[in-house]
Amino acid sequence: MRHPKRTGRISVAGRKVQLATAAMLLLATTVAACGGDGQDDDAKASAPKAPATIPELTKDPLTLSFIWFEWPPAKALEAFANEEYKKQRPNATIKVNTVPNANWHDAMFTQFAARKTDFDVAILDSQHIGEAVTNGNILDLTDFVKQNIDVKAYNPYLLAAYGQYPQAETGKRDENASLYGLPLLGDTWTMIYRKDLIGDKPPQTWDEMISAAAKCQADNPGVSGLAFHQANGSDAAAVTYNTVNGVYGGNLWDAKTRKIDGVVNDAAGQEAMDVLVNKMKPLTAKGSGNWFIDEVNAAVAQGKACIAFNWIAASGGLLDPKESTLGKTREQILDKLGFATLPAQKTNLVPLGGMGMHVSAYSSAANQAEALNFMKWFEQPDIQKKWAAAGGVPSRTDALESSEFLNAGPFNKVYADSVPRMRDMWNVPEYARLVDIENTNVNAALNGAKKPKEALDDIAKEQQSVLDSSGRKGGGGL
Amino acid sequence: MSDPVSLTTDRPGQVATPTPPAPGRSRWLSDRRLAVAFIAPALLLLLAMSVFPLLWALYLSFTDYSATRGGPAHFVWFENYTAILTSAQVHTRALTTLIYVVGAVTLQTVLGFTIAYLISRRTHGRGLLTTLFLVPMMLSPVVVGLFWRFMLDAQFGVINSMLGSIGLGQVEWLTQQRTALISLIVVDTWQWTPFIMLIALAGLTAVPKYLYEAASIDRASEWFRFRTITLPLVWPLLLIAVLFRAIEAFRLFDLVYILTNGGPGVSTETLSFHVYKVAFLGFNTGTASAYGILMVLVVIVLTQLYLRYLNKLKED
Repeated sequence: MRHPKRTGRISVAGRKVQLATAAMLLLATTVAACGGDGQDDDAKASAPKAPATIPELTKDPLTLSFIWFEWPPAKALEAFANEEYKKQRPNATIKVNTVPNANWHDAMFTQFAARKTDFDVAILDSQHIGEAVTNGNILDLTDFVKQNIDVKAYNPYLLAAYGQYPQAETGKRDENASLYGLPLLGDTWTMIYRKDLIGDKPPQTWDEMISAAAKCQADNPGVSGLAFHQANGSDAAAVTYNTVNGVYGGNLWDAKTRKIDGVVNDAAGQEAMDVLVNKMKPLTAKGSGNWFIDEVNAAVAQGKACIAFNWIAASGGLLDPKESTLGKTREQILDKLGFATLPAQKTNLVPLGGMGMHVSAYSSAANQAEALNFMKWFEQPDIQKKWAAAGGVPSRTDALESSEFLNAGPFNKVYADSVPRMRDMWNVPEYARLVDIENTNVNAALNGAKKPKEALDDIAKEQQSVLDSSGRKGGGGL
Repeated sequence: MSDPVSLTTDRPGQVATPTPPAPGRSRWLSDRRLAVAFIAPALLLLLAMSVFPLLWALYLSFTDYSATRGGPAHFVWFENYTAILTSAQVHTRALTTLIYVVGAVTLQTVLGFTIAYLISRRTHGRGLLTTLFLVPMMLSPVVVGLFWRFMLDAQFGVINSMLGSIGLGQVEWLTQQRTALISLIVVDTWQWTPFIMLIALAGLTAVPKYLYEAASIDRASEWFRFRTITLPLVWPLLLIAVLFRAIEAFRLFDLVYILTNGGPGVSTETLSFHVYKVAFLGFNTGTASAYGILMVLVVIVLTQLYLRYLNKLKED
């Protein structure tokens, strides 16, 4: 039988043409994928400037998108802004897009990496600013702030923490430094304690707090002495260690010399780690080594903890009778729960939480203008008070001292009292890696995977290596 | 029906004439060109979504490029590869991944084959049983991770509640070094044992009945039949299932992310999870690309060795 010949066989020249076409396609795909306009090559390592005055706003319908993580303040902001901002700008709709807390950094910075964002306003953690500024991802608001914002109305450190880069010294603001954001939500840790179990008066020192927790745990089987963040995701365990480190007189680094090794693991740092792992951890519930905000709140609401530490902005749910076994009304719950500033020990430092608003450099001109207008509107005294009444934590001093804020929640006074005591972490482009190193090592120490001293020395060594590796060739990120 | 028109010349060396178009079709549009036009969209998609990213990652792996910092990529040649291969951090994750792959795949193979063997011996309800066993495999790993996270919670989880009801103490499933890795293996096994079971069941069903009949006539024991008929015939198919599962387990990410986030410390961080951290925490795109390429190479080399073993088994 004669086999049929292959039909339509292509000549050698034809194949060459096909190969050349394929190569061209690959090249075209490569060029298209790379942008082909040299944008990356020309990208400047600094943030573009926002105009000093707000450009003319559009009259067309517009959606101003924010990005934040999923928690009650995000819902509160969307509801508040749509109700109040619409009175001034009826054509604008505010949309607060949320992602799980653990994906928050990735969700923003992967879009920044693509030089295209589906949000106009990034709600950055104070420590994210360095990374965003260095990469040119957010607008420089310095001129805009000078023209539109009354900076004297704020505690200088709050304004610096949520907007300034390079990072300010703790408690201060450098008036010559650039500002890249404005405060959206202030926050710090509050101590939540069971008045019915340890008494009305909160412990005043860290040692007293540990003793009270130990006694309460011994007296109340099934209730653990303490509940705090220990998870290795986000900044959970890291903030816990940093808080204890601050209270025991330690430092996270020497910002001027960029030195971590020998600073975080000095005698004060080691004492803090010892207190955390050997005195506080034994007072926590079994298996609480992966607890973060929600788990701590759940333990408090179910009456399973004598003393707990949590972010103020996440504590509102504790007073909801539907979510609590401590009482059938808010008043009944408040009979049992007390909120206080953190106990002091060698210092009275508390962690700075909260976030600022930052305008995406890749947002459209109309949306950037709207974002600036929103920020100017949001920072007005009466709006800040309304934000406080709606459940937000403002940053303007007049709003912090207002009855609207102080009466909105039992923990709001804690925040107002804590403002002069705040300390932040490192605000450098390498923040995400520094916090991951600290989180994983503190989590390892808390769960018995590493000895406290070993964990602290590893933190110091690995973090120092990250800061020192900026000029390293290859293998960065390991 | 008329003979097909000769489309090529018989004389070697002569340039082939293009296929004449069918009646009513443009002369330019030959069968060959039509075929190319049909497969072009799929090819272009493959080129854009798979081939280009792979080649681009290969290029980036030789550079210090960072996706967020932008700027030009500087060639560092094999520096990324050297750093990865000599990194103690990577060695730790490689060991964790190895323990996980061996533990999970072994457990899944033993359980999957056992379940398949038991099901294959049933005459009634085999279809229903198989369908029920397949349910975990149809769920998203993220969903599986989330509900197992709740179930394994030391304080509020149903597993510890059950253990408590029979007088056993609480176990810290996800926060202790050993139990966290075991928990990952157990959850992965719960989800993927059905895959092995399905392949094994296909193999068991295909074993010719007459072999068992002949063995029965010879009064062969159950164990003898299993050892000399069932296992040898199903073994090659089972090994292919093991290969698929091993590759999947090697690149485990989702369960780690949801269940333990790599903890306690980094004790359950797998290689894939570490690549994610290198790529997205510090945006060290060049290093992450090299890391990914190395992982692909490891899978290719091990798969080749494995396939050779399979072919040898077939020849024997």
